[in-house]
Amino acid sequence: MKKLSITFFVLFLGMNAKAQTEPAQSDSTKVLEEVEVTAIAKRKIETELKMSVSVDEFLASSDNISFIKRGAYAWEPLLNNMSTERSTVTIDGMHIFGACTDKMDPVTSYVESNNLSTIDITSGQEGSLHGATVAGSIDLKRKSTPFGLARKWSGAYQTGFEFNNKQFFNLGNLSYSSDKFVADGSIAFRKAGNYYDGNNDEVLHSQYNKFNSSLGLAYKTSSLSSVRVDAIFDMAKDVGFPALPMDLWLSRAIITSAAYKKLFEEGLVRAWDTKLYFNAIEHYMDDTKRPENLVHMDMPGWSTTYGLVSRANLKRGEYSGDIQLNVYENLSIAEMTMYPQDRSNRTMFAYSWPWVTTRFAGLSMNNSWDISEASRLNLGGSLGWNYNRSKYVEFNWIFHPGTPQEKNRILPGLHASYQLNIKQFDFSVGAGYGHRAPSVSEGYGYYIYNSFDRYDYIGNPDLKNEISYEANASAGFRNERMGIEATANYFHIQHYIVGRILSLGSPMNYQSVDVKGYTSLNYATLFNMALNANYDILPHLHWKGTLRYARATDDKGGNLPFIRPLSYQTSLHFMHREFGVQTSLNGDFAHDDYSPEYGEDLTPAYSIWNISADYTISFKNFKTVLQVGAENLFNKYYSTYADWGNIPRMGRNIFTSMKFSF
Amino acid sequence: MNRILFFLTTVCFTVMSCTKEKTDYEAEIGAVVTEHEEFKEAVSIQHDGYDIRVEVLNGTFYKGYNEIRLKITNSQTTEQADVSAVTFLPIRTDTDGSTGSCPHQYDLGDRSNGDYFSGYSVFTSESNGDESWELYIGFTIGGQTHTVKQHIAVQEQPNKNLNMTAFTGKDDKQYVIALISPQKPKVGENDLVAGIYRFNKPLNPSSGSFPDPSQFLYEEVRGYTLQLDPRMPEPSMGNHSSPNNKDLTQQGDGLYHGLVNYTMTGNWTLNLIMLNQDGRILKGTEVPTDFTPGVEGAKSELYIDILF
Repeated sequence: MKKLSITFFVLFLGMNAKAQTEPAQSDSTKVLEEVEVTAIAKRKIETELKMSVSVDEFLASSDNISFIKRGAYAWEPLLNNMSTERSTVTIDGMHIFGACTDKMDPVTSYVESNNLSTIDITSGQEGSLHGATVAGSIDLKRKSTPFGLARKWSGAYQTGFEFNNKQFFNLGNLSYSSDKFVADGSIAFRKAGNYYDGNNDEVLHSQYNKFNSSLGLAYKTSSLSSVRVDAIFDMAKDVGFPALPMDLWLSRAIITSAAYKKLFEEGLVRAWDTKLYFNAIEHYMDDTKRPENLVHMDMPGWSTTYGLVSRANLKRGEYSGDIQLNVYENLSIAEMTMYPQDRSNRTMFAYSWPWVTTRFAGLSMNNSWDISEASRLNLGGSLGWNYNRSKYVEFNWIFHPGTPQEKNRILPGLHASYQLNIKQFDFSVGAGYGHRAPSVSEGYGYYIYNSFDRYDYIGNPDLKNEISYEANASAGFRNERMGIEATANYFHIQHYIVGRILSLGSPMNYQSVDVKGYTSLNYATLFNMALNANYDILPHLHWKGTLRYARATDDKGGNLPFIRPLSYQTSLHFMHREFGVQTSLNGDFAHDDYSPEYGEDLTPAYSIWNISADYTISFKNFKTVLQVGAENLFNKYYSTYADWGNIPRMGRNIFTSMKFSF
Repeated sequence: MNRILFFLTTVCFTVMSCTKEKTDYEAEIGAVVTEHEEFKEAVSIQHDGYDIRVEVLNGTFYKGYNEIRLKITNSQTTEQADVSAVTFLPIRTDTDGSTGSCPHQYDLGDRSNGDYFSGYSVFTSESNGDESWELYIGFTIGGQTHTVKQHIAVQEQPNKNLNMTAFTGKDDKQYVIALISPQKPKVGENDLVAGIYRFNKPLNPSSGSFPDPSQFLYEEVRGYTLQLDPRMPEPSMGNHSSPNNKDLTQQGDGLYHGLVNYTMTGNWTLNLIMLNQDGRILKGTEVPTDFTPGVEGAKSELYIDILF
């Protein structure tokens, strides 16, 4: 480990030394071009209702994201109602893998809203640019200030207090931009106590503490090229997970990268961006604060990833495209040591991830042609190689005797779509095909306890690739005052991976009822649809509404778990001069299509009402926004279909925040 | 810039110096088990101009199974003596003077494997104030038989993976089951080797001269089966077991071979049921297979505990 850090440090030095010696010319017109090349529809990291949100809260406002919640912190994002194994979650295209076997640390828990500029969510195979996927991709985009801005310094400071769980947060970020040097830095602290549910009962073990900081330095090496180094350091301490039998004592992540970017004024290739990255995560669980636990366990986990991502933007006439090379190697280690009641007895040791190496190399491509003024054709594909090796394969041999220690897989993907725009109407249809490899837990996990269905899970190295056949369509109408859009997608997934009771062996974790092994269903189907509408009732009064529905079944017609029932959100937004008021109502219908086989029970319908008001004070270049609001205004007691162990959600939460920016 | 680099270096080093060290797996497996691979001299006897040396693993006789290597050399020339046959008989003497033996190989194998005669002895108790052990070794050179007697110390076997158990079967015969391998198990699949020995009661009274080998006859039983159900008995493990184990059956070497899977380190109980060649249960009971956290796992009436 020490050696790695030194290598990495030298890499840093090298990049910086280079940055300092090369001469540069300033060329402010290139700034615009760079922005144009990377411009994708961007959303600020804030929701309609709340301006100082966590990354989780922000993601929750997106259409095709839902969450499994194990507490107040580190929610696991589900894309198209599929768990994180089926989507690629990246930070600027960099692959990162959580170090917790119980998914207590999704990648999204290692960033903070003030070091991100936006989050790109791509549904289905169109998201294969960052690697093989089934559900799509979530790419967290870090802040990256352009060169040569008119204002050299810019920054923001946010602070706030949320009354329900006594959350106090301080977020600051500062950017410097000159013609040849740019620096972005951010720092964030959040500290929260236990929250209270709608019955005003304290939800024990729901506190958290988080520290996050980031630094990015870029240097313009010539008028059309630049180097950039980035680092994020994140640390969460003493985080409670009320739905789990253990908490988090400490998790730390260092996420680093060094990138070289070159722009071209002519030719097919317009931009080329290559990045080397390294990230390391350590995650230590803690069950000492749960006296009800019969067995004390140490469950540390480590995940280290190196990688390269190289991307070229192409453009010629009616054609534009992206080619991306993704290469990475990850090592996932998780240990468990059980302590007998009589501590003089021998402790019991096993690996829940027996030093599993994953290597991936893949080339992806997205192409689009503007066939006419009104129509566009997109075509893309990816081809990847996935390699797994389990160092202590004897653990896997217990349930799968003689299975090979190494496994190679080829992961192809293809997708096509057609977009048509007739006057105020938009239509699109698309189709996709793609493979994904089993995750480390699905392939090599060993007695990983799932507190939701209360089974110990065993991985199967011989699982087949999951193969997705996908179709999607959308139709929309838009004019000056209103817009309405319907989107739908359908996945037929062959060899869909789930846990099935093994009738073999016996549980190891004392809360567990039996052992499940990851196996492939013949197939499963998922259908998602969303209806969005907005209407400007008055020039200053806007209405927005969303209706979402999903349905998923296995090959025998049984329900799959964690599929969101019919849900809705409707909001009104009034804005006049420096004053704004927002109110929203959201809820789920009853979760009738639940899956008892996977430990689900019927979750009743709920709806909650939120309201907030803000006031903006501007003075020269300084802007201050004050906001006060309440979530779950009527203090409703509820839990959602995806709340692990039916833990209740937060009751009424009055929040205040202040944002100061210049 | 320097300050930034300093910051980055600090961050790198604080993060890389992991808070908790990863477990050294090899060391963890060996934490309570010492594996002995080297045969060392346990006793040396000089008799009639010959040196008789008995070698066992680690140079110590342990309770349980001991592989025996016996070397006989000419004291003067230090060359191998031209021995035609060697007999080996361990005798236990209690305080009241009564004697007994333990499973052993009486006629040692020839020197085909090297410069030693090979055999085994399964000591059924440790030497202490009440019981003492002696070896009676006989060897024939040029038609003349020499016999020697040597007091030895049998020590407690610290490695529970070489445990043994002695019991009376439903056929009223006395049996000994001794674990032979693995000395140092690993998590995962292990080849499990055990010996099953039966004491054959003497048919005729003693011939008079002590010791009379016909009074101390043990035999490796033929065609038996040891049904295996490994479990973790500690209450916290709730009677945890493992899959894909294989019952022990006799192989060409006369020993009983099977497969045991250990899912983690710690205390395990090998619950056994011994069947004779006709499939009749001579000892052992089925154990509950339920997962019962907080309750100590019930053991078969025939079991051997191991620890690694």
